[in-house]
Amino acid sequence: MPVVADSELGLGPRQDQARFEVGSVFFLAPALALMAVLFLGPIIYSLYLAFTNLQLAGPHAVDYSFTGLTNLRRLIHDTQFTASTKLTVYFLVGSAIAGQTVLGMILALLMRRVLAPLRLLVGAVVVLAWVLPEVTAAFVWYAFAQQGGTLSNVLGHSDTNYLNTAPMLLVCIANAWRNVAFSMLMFSAALRNLPPEVLEAAEMEGASLLRRLFTLVLPMMRGTIVTNLLLVTIGNLSTFTLIWVMTQGGPGSATSILPVYMYLVSFSFSDLGYGSMIGLALIALGALFSISYVYSLRARLT
Amino acid sequence: MIETNANRSRNPERPEVSEPPQTEVHVGFTGVFKLFGSVVAVRDLNLDIRKGEFLVRVGPMGCGKTTTLRMLAGLERPTYGTIQIGRRVVNRVSCKDRNIALVFQSYALYPHMTVKENLAFGMKARREPRARIRARVQEVAQTLDVVELLNRRPAELSGGQRQRVALGRALIREPDVFLMDEPLSNLDAALRVQMRAELARLHERLGITTVYVTHDQVEAMTMGTRIALMRDGVLQQVDAPETLYARPANLYVAGFIGSPKMNLVSGRLTSLDGEVAVEWLGTCMALRGKVAATVKKHGSEVLIVGLRPEDLRWAPDAPSESTVRLRGPVEVVEPLGSETLVTVVVDGNRLTTRFPPRSGVQTGDIVELALDPTHLHVFDPDSGVSLREQ
Amino acid sequence: MTSPIAHASESDRLALEKDDLLVVRYPRVSGGGFAANLTRGLFGALFATPLLWMLLSSIDSHASWSIGVPTLTASNYAAIFHEAEMRPLLNSMYLAGVSTGVTTVSAVLSAYVLSRRHVPLRRVFLVFILFASGLPVTMVIVPTFQLFVTFHWLDSLFWTSLFLAASSLPFAIWLMKNFIDAVPEELEESAEIEGASSLRILLRIIIPLTIPGIGVTAIVTFINGWGAFLIPLVLNSNPSDTPASIAAYNFLSAFTTPKFGQLAAYSLLFSLPVLVLYLVMARRLSGAFSFGGSLRG
Repeated sequence: MPVVADSELGLGPRQDQARFEVGSVFFLAPALALMAVLFLGPIIYSLYLAFTNLQLAGPHAVDYSFTGLTNLRRLIHDTQFTASTKLTVYFLVGSAIAGQTVLGMILALLMRRVLAPLRLLVGAVVVLAWVLPEVTAAFVWYAFAQQGGTLSNVLGHSDTNYLNTAPMLLVCIANAWRNVAFSMLMFSAALRNLPPEVLEAAEMEGASLLRRLFTLVLPMMRGTIVTNLLLVTIGNLSTFTLIWVMTQGGPGSATSILPVYMYLVSFSFSDLGYGSMIGLALIALGALFSISYVYSLRARLT
Repeated sequence: MIETNANRSRNPERPEVSEPPQTEVHVGFTGVFKLFGSVVAVRDLNLDIRKGEFLVRVGPMGCGKTTTLRMLAGLERPTYGTIQIGRRVVNRVSCKDRNIALVFQSYALYPHMTVKENLAFGMKARREPRARIRARVQEVAQTLDVVELLNRRPAELSGGQRQRVALGRALIREPDVFLMDEPLSNLDAALRVQMRAELARLHERLGITTVYVTHDQVEAMTMGTRIALMRDGVLQQVDAPETLYARPANLYVAGFIGSPKMNLVSGRLTSLDGEVAVEWLGTCMALRGKVAATVKKHGSEVLIVGLRPEDLRWAPDAPSESTVRLRGPVEVVEPLGSETLVTVVVDGNRLTTRFPPRSGVQTGDIVELALDPTHLHVFDPDSGVSLREQ
Repeated sequence: MTSPIAHASESDRLALEKDDLLVVRYPRVSGGGFAANLTRGLFGALFATPLLWMLLSSIDSHASWSIGVPTLTASNYAAIFHEAEMRPLLNSMYLAGVSTGVTTVSAVLSAYVLSRRHVPLRRVFLVFILFASGLPVTMVIVPTFQLFVTFHWLDSLFWTSLFLAASSLPFAIWLMKNFIDAVPEELEESAEIEGASSLRILLRIIIPLTIPGIGVTAIVTFINGWGAFLIPLVLNSNPSDTPASIAAYNFLSAFTTPKFGQLAAYSLLFSLPVLVLYLVMARRLSGAFSFGGSLRG
């Protein structure tokens, strides 16, 4: 329709404004109900609980009260909280960024250069690790790292329990092992969609492999890389099961990243109020990443 | 000033619309506009369709013909104006209650259902008794010759078969109005010709009011009782095919209808022996009759004059009324078998003419052409409106 | 320094001139190709090692923490096949099954409306959904617990599975909406003109045409529910309600010298349904999106 209109047609209100059909409510009702109560509800509730002294068991289990900013002050001075946050960052860098995004990219790039049977086989193994339930993955790595387990046998220190000597490292590796398939698949798909002519042209002009990689391929995939980073970061921020099954946050609190610390505070130390506060901090962190993620996708949202 | 029905007759630039005779007006558009956001798809449409008519809406892509169809079907609501079916204003009536049927350009057959289920879907939705559904399905399948296909899925059918199933699905409900959105455009040429005839026969038999949308003017000319030509959302002219051809209301209609296109070259108003004449293609030709009076009254110096290729004859072959002679060299010769299209350059302008099949004319020959000035169409150069007898 | 690829065999290069320039040939055994293959092979082997342990130990009567040549036996599997160990699997089935059912139905209904009808604040809702599917559940587990306490919903498989359903909903709705968007609108318009109500259109047209999509959504939700750990851990402390994920964890710490073989066997069994479902889904996804015959094209 090439004709552009004058909005001064002056014929009164339009008759064709989209209208909401009442029937739609019935269709939306179940989802809305579920999400309002069981999703929004807890989020809002936590905003309140975080400022109380509620306990799981004990004097304040039933009789609890609003305590103002006590929990917040406690949070700021809590050395364990700071330690946990540091551990979380370490975990994110080690597992999310290095382990999953970078490794996933490397794998995706390698995928294109290998023989088909090898590609299929290795691809299958990597995806298999991803599909398995988290408990199984944790369990398998637990066995792997044990004293007398495969890792220690191979490395010649058969009496070392790596979960005691290098817990954070091991947990990072295990998590990366489990999740790298996601990044690999995402990058593979993106790589397939790159225009081959540009890369061909560079190849013809004699650009080396590495140079092509860094000056052409990676910049062209920037959007996917950012998206992947964000997704992986958010996912890793809430890792609980893997770590809990492998180390319960230990030894000591060597692997107590924030979600684990939150759980311990709430259910082992029975401090639900303070636990909620930690949870809020975690939500805030997650929301920050979520928003950046949505923002970066904004252009593609219809 | 917005042109509405009220001040239509006072405005000479208004396109000509032929009113249907006093037989019942079945479908009516009054002052209908459709805006998508700020884009005007349909502007001030006023059109009456009478019962049993086969109205073809034709025009290039984006002219608003499909939008109007969808408004009639109820899939879109007009932004302004009213639409009537029978005596009912149907603006607020939902499509299922309008008793109309629509054949989509892509047929829109339900891919997961068999032909039989496709046909029966509408009646099942209206909860008609099973026996009646079965009977009607058989009836329609026989009418459209798809009985052997009843248990097949759309994916297994050819284009023509799918088209017939789509037709059947529309017919089975005995609608008041039958709408078709370019149903033949996806068929190959031979099939198209065959289906055109079938549709025409069907319409004769059943007599349902039909609104048919197409961009192909050959389809329009051969199938419609009346043709409505639209451009950029504005209705240009509504008339029987012959009228559209012989008396186009404006430049656009003149150029759209008829293949090859009408020759259009600008000329100047002048006089010849005291009569109103035009200087055209280097020659003065007197205009006759009422046309002359209108042109003179109009007073514009510059005019656009048109002549259909078949009215520009090869002199030896021309009837006696062809008093004006022109000559020029032949540029292109396209033999079509039954006739030959010859492009002749006269006074610097390329004109298309129709020559008899065995004229022996060749490129480069200088030929003499003859025309009868009563065949001339005169248009105002600014508005494009045809200056004919008032 | 030119790359081995660019150099890659003049004959290959010349062959390229003939063909379409878009054809890229990677040299089979030379330079980069070989290194890549080797790296990849090694990586694959390393990657598979932990899994290998599980597989081998489960059929080994003398299993230990490390990989060894198994003394083949089926006794590990036999040992776990009785009530105490089977019950958790049933519980997992309940949790995953109910949450999948609830989620899928709700998601299909909501996605239909969001995709086709006009809903006020639709954009807001969609953004919320996207945002919510990025926000993992772990973060709200504490207030959820308290919520459950308040409403007396603790220790109930049913309410736990409802919560699982709620947390899977955002992603499920997003998935389904994409699938429903892919159905050509003309099919529904045609049905509408023929007199079908919205419900009928949903049931008879949309759903049959999005069955692969519904399958994917259901399977993804089920896999999530099957592997759920933290949620049942917190919301349900009833020993007879323990799902298999937690049971496996308990198994690990139950004995001073763990029964390696049985542990491995149980893990394998626990993981099997997920694997099967994933395979089914991968198959489905790759073929099933044609609307053959409905549109002329």
